[in-house]
Amino acid sequence: MLTVKDLVCYYGDLQVLRQVSLHVEEGEVVALFGPNGHGKSTLLKAICGLQPPRAGSIQFRGAEIAGLPAHQIVERGLAYIPEERHLFADMTVLENLYLGAYPRHARAAVKKNLEFVFHIFPRLAERRNQLCSTLSGGEARMVAIGRGLMSETSLLMVDEPSIGLSPGMKMAVFDAIRQIHQERGMTILIVEQEIQHALEMSDRIYLMKKGQIAFERKGKEIQVEEIEKAYF
Amino acid sequence: MENFVNALISGLISGSLYAAMALGLTIIYGVSRVFNFGHGVIAVIGAYLTWYLLSALGVPFLLATLLSMAFMAIFGFVLYRLTINPLLKKPNWEFSTVLFMLGAGILLENVVLQVFGPRVKSIPLLVEGMLKVGFLQINWHELLLIAIVVIAITALSLFFKYSRTGQAMRAVAQSIPGAQVVGIHIEQIFGMTFALAFVVTGFSGILLGTKYYLNPHIGWEWMVKGFVIVTFGGLGSTSGAVVAALILGLVEAIATLYLGAIWVWPIWFVLFLVVLLLRPQGILGGRM
Repeated sequence: MLTVKDLVCYYGDLQVLRQVSLHVEEGEVVALFGPNGHGKSTLLKAICGLQPPRAGSIQFRGAEIAGLPAHQIVERGLAYIPEERHLFADMTVLENLYLGAYPRHARAAVKKNLEFVFHIFPRLAERRNQLCSTLSGGEARMVAIGRGLMSETSLLMVDEPSIGLSPGMKMAVFDAIRQIHQERGMTILIVEQEIQHALEMSDRIYLMKKGQIAFERKGKEIQVEEIEKAYF
Repeated sequence: MENFVNALISGLISGSLYAAMALGLTIIYGVSRVFNFGHGVIAVIGAYLTWYLLSALGVPFLLATLLSMAFMAIFGFVLYRLTINPLLKKPNWEFSTVLFMLGAGILLENVVLQVFGPRVKSIPLLVEGMLKVGFLQINWHELLLIAIVVIAITALSLFFKYSRTGQAMRAVAQSIPGAQVVGIHIEQIFGMTFALAFVVTGFSGILLGTKYYLNPHIGWEWMVKGFVIVTFGGLGSTSGAVVAALILGLVEAIATLYLGAIWVWPIWFVLFLVVLLLRPQGILGGRM
């Protein structure tokens, strides 16, 4: 479904991605691990069009999308949920979710997707008319994930969904991601520091270090300790 | 007492005209963070076009307004596409867009001067006559102006709240990366924002042109008033601009009544500085 090949990315003169290659197959959950500041978020941003790559190729459902503007990539059914959330703070939860269905192809499925979002995050249904600037960190994270789901996507890329959340909220977010995969059959690429939780739901994992893929494993064939060791 | 009430009413009238005039400035800033230093001339162009269609060609008022608004929309969109859009890609776009719009404003001011000449013009009143209730005396025309502004602002806020494009504009105003992530084409929304703001600004120019006089240079005075209003109300906040315009309109009328018209600017700017010192985000702050 997604094939990244020899991707190179720079911030100014600083090379962040050094020929990264990875692939995600339809229906898979793939986790991307690695220490902070080694290019995981940049890779997701390059795939979704927020950070144009300098070289390499990104194929999504058979079409080359490297260098396309972000809005065209969303229209092809690839959703990115940023770590920073980037919610519309002075709008309500519901307005944020509706804006998630901005792409043309998503508008017919608004009702179905909204029901699903409220099904996995009942909390958002209660707070639907609340301004996003008044939400807790965990609730805001739920809105960000929900907004991504509203775009009628086939691949969901989630960047550190549990960061900064209380243990209870972390569980709620991981449960929701598991539900998204199991009930909707959604393909998921997740970047996460909570190795244990992410590993449990992943079919495959990649470990990224210094802007390169260090290794790739099947989810069942690797232990948390081995991943942690690779960080140093 | 009579004078005071009449001053309140006249403050309300100029306040609502100022609100209409300041909205275009705050809409462009709110969405694109471009501060339009050519704002006043845009209002003047809208007014002159309508004046020309009305007086020289004899087009009826409603049609003349519609034609000018259509021109302003295209003008705003094309100006954005050809000039602002490439400038926004430069590293110091904030400063370059300010200087560019200032230069464009001076250029356009002189185009208006060359085409229409320096003589003062005015757009005829929409309706004649006066409403007299007890000691109250109000022109029907000015009452109509208030009604038009109220309708226009209501229509605008409904557009921002419920239309897909209006929601996208607010989304871009609140978070550009957030808007990109949900699939909004930022440059397209910027272009439409310029078109919309030029229409609103041109329309306010028409209204101002029916109450005050028109000359090619009057835009700068309008714009400085617009600057005070949008800073007072909170840059990028539409409701803030409306509230600030009404307050400043009332202050202007009351200051004129008790102190004389020469005190209006000093008082406006003292208020402006006080707000900047105490509440730099403006009285309402917040985003569109």
